[in-house]
Amino acid sequence: MTLEVDVEATFSADGADAFHVAADFSVRDGETVVILGPSGSGKTLLLETVAGFHDHEGTVDNDELVLSDRPPEGRDFAFVFQDYALFPHMTVSENVGFGTRYEWTDDGWVASLADRFRSALGRFGSAISRPRSTVSKLWRRLRGGTGPAPEPPGLRLLADLGVADLAERYPPTLSGGEAQRVALARALAVDPAVLLLDEPLSSLDVPTRQALRDDLQDVLADVTSIYVTHDRTTARALADRIVVMNDGQVVQTGTPEDVFERPASPLVARFTGSNVVPLSALGDRADRLLDGDRDATHLTVRPEAVELGANDPDLTGTVERVTREDATSRVTVAVDGIDSPVTVFSADPPTPGTTVTLRFPRERVATCRD
Amino acid sequence: MATRTPPLPLHALGRGSVALAVVAVQLVAFAAAYSLGRPTLYAVFVVLSAAGLGFASRRGLFGVAMATLGSVLLVALGLPLLLFAARQSPSLIAEKALDPGVHRVLYLGVYAPLLAAVASLALGVPLAYHLSRGFTGQPLVESLVDLPLVVPHSVAGIIILFGFGQGGALPGLSVLGTLPGMVLALTFVSAPYAVNAAREAFESVDDRLEYAARVHGASPWQAFRRVTGPLAVRGMVTGGVLAWARSVSEFGAVAVVAYSVEFFYPPAGERVIAQHAPVFVYNTYLQGGLDESGAVAALLLAVSAAIFLLVRWLTTDATTTQGVA
Repeated sequence: MTLEVDVEATFSADGADAFHVAADFSVRDGETVVILGPSGSGKTLLLETVAGFHDHEGTVDNDELVLSDRPPEGRDFAFVFQDYALFPHMTVSENVGFGTRYEWTDDGWVASLADRFRSALGRFGSAISRPRSTVSKLWRRLRGGTGPAPEPPGLRLLADLGVADLAERYPPTLSGGEAQRVALARALAVDPAVLLLDEPLSSLDVPTRQALRDDLQDVLADVTSIYVTHDRTTARALADRIVVMNDGQVVQTGTPEDVFERPASPLVARFTGSNVVPLSALGDRADRLLDGDRDATHLTVRPEAVELGANDPDLTGTVERVTREDATSRVTVAVDGIDSPVTVFSADPPTPGTTVTLRFPRERVATCRD
Repeated sequence: MATRTPPLPLHALGRGSVALAVVAVQLVAFAAAYSLGRPTLYAVFVVLSAAGLGFASRRGLFGVAMATLGSVLLVALGLPLLLFAARQSPSLIAEKALDPGVHRVLYLGVYAPLLAAVASLALGVPLAYHLSRGFTGQPLVESLVDLPLVVPHSVAGIIILFGFGQGGALPGLSVLGTLPGMVLALTFVSAPYAVNAAREAFESVDDRLEYAARVHGASPWQAFRRVTGPLAVRGMVTGGVLAWARSVSEFGAVAVVAYSVEFFYPPAGERVIAQHAPVFVYNTYLQGGLDESGAVAALLLAVSAAIFLLVRWLTTDATTTQGVA
């Protein structure tokens, strides 16, 4: 099954200009497509539109069905929200079991009403034909029930996610990490054709985020999903393919390798953390690095690929700042003729203020146009 | 504020004991002023003691000024009530409380508003839901809903008679002097309370909870029944009780539409004629004077107070959310 999304929607808020969102991409079976973009780029609205929460033009379909003709409950999706959106008046196990109670049919409401009427009639019929069992059932109910309780659906999912002990708690008493695990279990419990996730990690503190990201990596390995985030690290860790959005429009679609190593525009490059160097700043060194792409205006290169202090440099600059990171240091180098400084990683960083040389390995350099 | 040292040992006591002490002092002062036959002295005492408490709260001249001015309003609201309670004759109240005619009035005065509150809720909750979700032309509908709040209630009664009386929208229904007419009038004036309270409750339910219900398989009905409805139920109950309380106190519209009402009275097992309680109090005042109407008013006040306490109890967090925020 391949999900094909080709939608356009316009959103207007009081006193603000209408915001237009348009996107066209596909999600193959078992694939995780990450929609990556800055805040306000319309990625959450796009995901909600796919889920059926908003009116839109265009279609969402899988191989057999036009899903966009159906209401949200008929699309066989599940959704994990940024701020969990757990039902506060239900226990964790009731939350997780919520979706398993419902089965969607597209027979329309007349048929479904008739169905309910028939089943109610059946219950009534069996109640009057077997009065004793009805009375004893009522009695059991009044006394609070006896005998083994049926296992709540989704309990195994909670156990898999390490939160089985929370089953009888209420959502407002959970920590962020616990709540998001429960929300994930609620979504997986309906065994959706496609799992939609809207920034599920961004409300969490850093250690919790890393732990849940590891779990998500396992979960998303077997689930077809669309994952919205503004965090490029998460995108790189989880994506099979990435759709980069800006200002409501798709600006690049590709594998993580494509997007991170060969960004389509300076905008994508900056957002994914690449260095962006205008060709004009390189002078005649540009010829060495270009593969005859005469239309290109900018060169992009990952910070981890730039060689610091090499002979035969492409650029020379002044160290502006050194930031210690886990195993290395991030060095920002100011270069004349480039607006934003060049970022480099170094295990043995120079002190700020010193002049350094920068060399770009030819095989790691890509070009793009404004 | 935390670093300041309190000037009086007032802060050292618990809030509860301070409040209790203040109430006790006020009651003693009122009893003294009342037995002297000079209630004005008590009014002065309240304002002065409020100024003293304002001073003790260490907010300076600002605190004193705010407390003093606020207490003047409290005197205007509370002193008549205290004097009203103190000046009632218990024997007259007991006599009225045993009067079957008064029973009928109290029955009608609680029962008809209950019907009006149920009608306001049953029809107001769907409207409130739509208002909370927004639609084109919403401001117009909002104004219409709030209209009864600004229309003088005798005018509301006239409008009801034009709308539903002879030659009106419900030809089969006689509204003048009937229970349906009374309920219509009460619903007209009290529905805005039910609609607005329910609407606020719906607005406080996050859209995403409804989205979550829908995307995980619930139809719009099921999402309402299991998620939006239960989360807004407190607001609906509050709205219903507010509408009920408003109806209990309604005078103008009822006096026009159903001055005397004929209705079935279960304790007597037959149809009887009575008046809505506020109308009855006014009537007693005109015919029997202040003392008689005071006794009836005291009974009505007791019923209203019970409703008011019920509202407060229903709107505290602990009673409706089972400890879930």
